Amino acid sequence: MENSKRRFLKGTCALLAGASGATLLATVSASNEAKADPSVKYALIHDETKCIGCKACEVACRETNHVPEGVARLKIEQTGPYGEYPNQFYHFSRKSCQHCEDAPCVNVCPTGAAFIDKETGIVSVDAWKCVGCQYCIAACPYKIRFINPVTHAADKCDFCRETNLAQGKQPACVAACPTKALVFGNLKDPTSQVVQVLKANPTQRAKVDLGTRPKLFRIVAKSGEVAI
Amino acid sequence: MSALHFDTLVWHWPIAIYLFLAGASAGAMFFAVLLKHFVLKHNAYQSGFVQAACIVAPVAVMAGLGILVLDLTKPFDFWKILVFYNPKSVMSMGVLILLIYQVFMFMWIGLLFRKPIDAWCESRFPIVLKFTAWLSRFEATITGLLVIFSLALGAYTGFLLSALPGYPMLKNPVLPLLFLASGLSSGAASSLLGGVLLNANPNAKEVHFIHKVEIPLILVEIVLIFTFFMGLVLSGGQSKFAAFNAIGYGFWGWIFWIGIVGLGLSGPLAMNLFMTATSKRKWAYVAGTACLSLIGVLLLRNFILYTGQMTVV
Ligand code: SF4
Ligand code: SF4
Ligand code: SF4
Repeated sequence: MENSKRRFLKGTCALLAGASGATLLATVSASNEAKADPSVKYALIHDETKCIGCKACEVACRETNHVPEGVARLKIEQTGPYGEYPNQFYHFSRKSCQHCEDAPCVNVCPTGAAFIDKETGIVSVDAWKCVGCQYCIAACPYKIRFINPVTHAADKCDFCRETNLAQGKQPACVAACPTKALVFGNLKDPTSQVVQVLKANPTQRAKVDLGTRPKLFRIVAKSGEVAI
Repeated sequence: MSALHFDTLVWHWPIAIYLFLAGASAGAMFFAVLLKHFVLKHNAYQSGFVQAACIVAPVAVMAGLGILVLDLTKPFDFWKILVFYNPKSVMSMGVLILLIYQVFMFMWIGLLFRKPIDAWCESRFPIVLKFTAWLSRFEATITGLLVIFSLALGAYTGFLLSALPGYPMLKNPVLPLLFLASGLSSGAASSLLGGVLLNANPNAKEVHFIHKVEIPLILVEIVLIFTFFMGLVLSGGQSKFAAFNAIGYGFWGWIFWIGIVGLGLSGPLAMNLFMTATSKRKWAYVAGTACLSLIGVLLLRNFILYTGQMTVV
């Protein structure tokens, strides 16, 4: 018995040492990844003060990315009307992927199908790798992911990474917006329009206290509502 | 908002059943090891309760995996979970734990039944004897690792949900402990129920032992549930809202107070104390108590899964 106990202890110690070594390695390689400094990091600004709620962005997204009916990568949510006639107004806010720097969807995905593209900082989905466990959908605090009824894979906004961006064009929503309420660009480039707008305006991001570091900024319009 | 269908609901009851089965399997193995080492020693395989645990554990864990696979939107692609791993993903690590757990589970069960297996194979497949002899050299290691992995599996069922940052009620450090404790007690209950169904003596020393462990286990569960909700209430904001929404008036409130606190925890606690105090362990008492525990744990899984997804940050 003494002998077997000792053997058991030895085995356990070896296992624990191995496990902690593996975690250590994983952390080291993770911090190396973080150090790699890509020169492109895309972000989007939705200027609510300019948005007129025409939903041209929604339509353009659906066409460009072949998003089936019944699901959407991008929604403009309307609240209101606020104020007294004739000074009534609506409030529009954009609901779509925030391209979190520390993305819960990527962290929970068992296969790595949800991933951050290292070159661009875009959070994307590899539809082939996705098994449809829906863990990412549950994990996303912004509730913008869905299962694509055609591919049966998780789907969401990817800044048109596979469509317009790949062809060197602006994302479909940005190109379609008649009032230039959407500004897309590279955060790492100090001369880009997105950086200029961010420097010149107070902006907000949603649920930052979760530590997700989202890259969808909004210039907030007056909301017409007093909420406490 | 209806209790079973709402916008923010992503994971439905199959996931709760999967969590229940994985926990019950881990608990059954855990108690089988305890019974063998502290109560029965060498002839453990003859005990109906240990036999029941050895049936429940593999069946439950495989049924759970089956449910998990069927619940995927692409069930035929499930092999990708086994091929691609993400060390940051609780689910990915959980699948790994589940697989390793099963390996040690089968090795341990094989060693447990070594005598009958050896006797049966002696003339037919003598090669098997060499294998079991070789395996038995590592018996202590296998047992130790099986215990570690069964505890890990039990805790994993909670970590799976507590890794969801968007739901304040689920993102709770007490959840893995709570699910571990309730998983263990569902394992104990299923061994007891299976044992008496296999015609084992309801007044056997195994039952005494399990009851002795189960009483403190249920008390721990009650403390953990209290801590769980107290923590939510004291965090304020959406956490507090989620807690009151869950245990307040409504469908899930009834499930919680009547089903989980009443039938699932107080019932078995009272029955266990009664059976220990009076030493009356009848077939119906043991089976009934075990059924109550199992129902309670199953309800707890569904309750946490559904009410947890009701409130988002
Ligand atoms: S918003 Fe949701 S889907 Fe987009 S990166 Fe963040 S967690 Fe992932
Ligand atoms: S649904 Fe697909 S992308 Fe989402 S976590 Fe599961 S495998 Fe990953
Ligand atoms: S296209 Fe531009 S103005 Fe129209 S809804 Fe979209 S963001 Fe607003």
